[in-house]
Amino acid sequence: MSTSSTSPPAHLLWLQALRTPEQTLLWTLADWERVVRLARRLRLLARLAESLAAAGMIDEVPAQPRRHLVSEQRLSHWRTTAMVWVLERVAITLAAGNYPLVLLKGSAYIGQNLPIAAGRLPSDVDLLVPKAHIAEAQSRLRAAGWLEAELDEHDQRYYHEWSHEVPPMTHPVHTMELDLHHNIQPPVARMRVDADVLLQRLAPSKWAAWQVLAPIDQVLHSAVHLFQDSELRDRLRDLVDLDGLMRHFSAHDPRFWVDLPARAAALGLSEPLALACHFCHQWLQTPVPANTLVEIEATGPGRLKRAWLLPLLAQVLTPTEPDSDPSAMQGVAAALLLARHHYGRMPLRLLIPHTWHKMQPPKMATELLDKP
Amino acid sequence: MSAGESDITRSLADVTPGAIADALASDGLWLDLGAVTLNVRSDSPVLAVQLKAVYGHYPFIDKADWADAHIRIMQARGLRRWMRPQVVFYCDGRLAFDPFPADSPLPLLEWGANWLVAQRLNDLLLLHAGAVERDGFALLLPAIPGSGKSTLTAALSQRGWRLLSDEFGAFDPAAGVFRAMLKPVALKNASIEVIKDFTPDAVFGPVFPKTRKGRVAHLAASKVSVQRRHDTARPGAVVLPKWQAGSPTRWEPLAEHVLFPALSFNAFNYNLLGEAGFRAAIALVRQCPGWQLIYSDLDDALATINAAWPGIVERHAQVEAS
Repeated sequence: MSTSSTSPPAHLLWLQALRTPEQTLLWTLADWERVVRLARRLRLLARLAESLAAAGMIDEVPAQPRRHLVSEQRLSHWRTTAMVWVLERVAITLAAGNYPLVLLKGSAYIGQNLPIAAGRLPSDVDLLVPKAHIAEAQSRLRAAGWLEAELDEHDQRYYHEWSHEVPPMTHPVHTMELDLHHNIQPPVARMRVDADVLLQRLAPSKWAAWQVLAPIDQVLHSAVHLFQDSELRDRLRDLVDLDGLMRHFSAHDPRFWVDLPARAAALGLSEPLALACHFCHQWLQTPVPANTLVEIEATGPGRLKRAWLLPLLAQVLTPTEPDSDPSAMQGVAAALLLARHHYGRMPLRLLIPHTWHKMQPPKMATELLDKP
Repeated sequence: MSAGESDITRSLADVTPGAIADALASDGLWLDLGAVTLNVRSDSPVLAVQLKAVYGHYPFIDKADWADAHIRIMQARGLRRWMRPQVVFYCDGRLAFDPFPADSPLPLLEWGANWLVAQRLNDLLLLHAGAVERDGFALLLPAIPGSGKSTLTAALSQRGWRLLSDEFGAFDPAAGVFRAMLKPVALKNASIEVIKDFTPDAVFGPVFPKTRKGRVAHLAASKVSVQRRHDTARPGAVVLPKWQAGSPTRWEPLAEHVLFPALSFNAFNYNLLGEAGFRAAIALVRQCPGWQLIYSDLDDALATINAAWPGIVERHAQVEAS
């Protein structure tokens, strides 16, 4: 991967305002309008609001965009409060089990007060427990009122045998969905991860009941979550998260950049790490040391794979401008990456019947909001 | 809006449907609703005529530097161009909602715009209520299911009350005032004929016989309500209407503990605003007296409200003086 050029594409320059909000002083109203529209769609508008607020600059924003920043900031506060409440309740529900309770992704960032916790819009809560205890945790949650969606036989088997999580649970009182995991990758995936290795290095969160993955493992989880996922359109938020994680953890641990590639290799996650570092470095100027970049590149995808994978990812990760339709190229790239995702997620003997099942028409039409 | 609105500004009624269609097809048409500005683009051949019918008094703006929501109402492509054609709703480049039939772009725009406003304006407490103004004070008609708040709001707006919104009681807690979110009043089913009989010269858009909410027609906002859509209104009173066949008009005072849930619990963003929402709702209940209005005769219902109103205004004046 190229380590020379670090100038981001011109249409992504606005992202720098997330770290240096002073830039917004130069924006015209037209610039603001574009950013508000893009950032809202990308779930980064409240993040921008928080970074302006932290710099004491929110009152310097022109009134028209300011109300939208404030509005989204309120939405973020509300969702975050709702998430913290779920975590308080679930901690009580699962307290009697003598096994670690682990926060993943957004809940973990909030549970550590990381800079990237500000301005999130959580809609579900991701938790991890050891696989040996997941059935017990599920039944405790059911007893506390958490409900599982009704699944057909195929989907039940999918979650039970091929997935790294149990079916999402909802609660009549809570607005958040609960996703209970026993691993960060499916057990049948090509890029399999030994969950015990993750569980051996847990770190404390700010809540006694909850732990988090080791900082480096959080970075690797975030990378695998983004680069092995089915849908990469409008996922710049995840790249901004990766940038924030790497900046924060490297500043607090002098061994971070040395340990990161080694841990990725041990867990078999060198490829997503290489992709994460490539795009973070190129697009967000993440200060990855040059020798670390070289090392990560050497263990990541080979030259041939890079030649087709990087342009596809760049195509799909680049957000479409608010008034444009996605290009045909982007559609093709997204379809190819979806195929790659499925291929990586399960072996073909499972994938073909699973895809066939998923192609059947859904049984229920999606209900749209009825208000107003 | 930077686009200056002077006496010489042309309104949608002053321009041809072709000019509106041209704006919709290029940079869009800016609809300044008071508390919020929409930018609407479309390739629908019928939307321009429908907009002209119900947004006739709004200034015709085809260039401006800000909108709070950007909406594209586009004809569905592919097979849907020919077989039971449809229009689809895009916001900021993303598809939203189920499509509507191609001859009904206006109901799709109205419904989708309301949804976007309800999602986005958390700088305001958005009560789900009809809102009208007189003497500088707002009268709120909360949307209790089956209350017919749109019918009564429409009737008031035709008889000397200034329409703020038939859907949003948009309260600005910082300023302590209501703002207009002025759109055509969406009337459903039998209410359409009720209002047409009530004011034969009311201006209606086309009737859409089969929307998801039944038969819908839009009543245009009056010229004066459009001209005054940037004027705010102080909290005045709350009326919980209830239409009951054959009932004599009954006007019964309501206690604060009844008004509070009527205002807050069906607001769009009361929960989201947390403590700020609670404080705003409490402030409203403390300031606004409230009544239940049970009626079957619309004229008599209006007469009852109009008879009570001077006393309400007088009470507010006394509170301010003391």
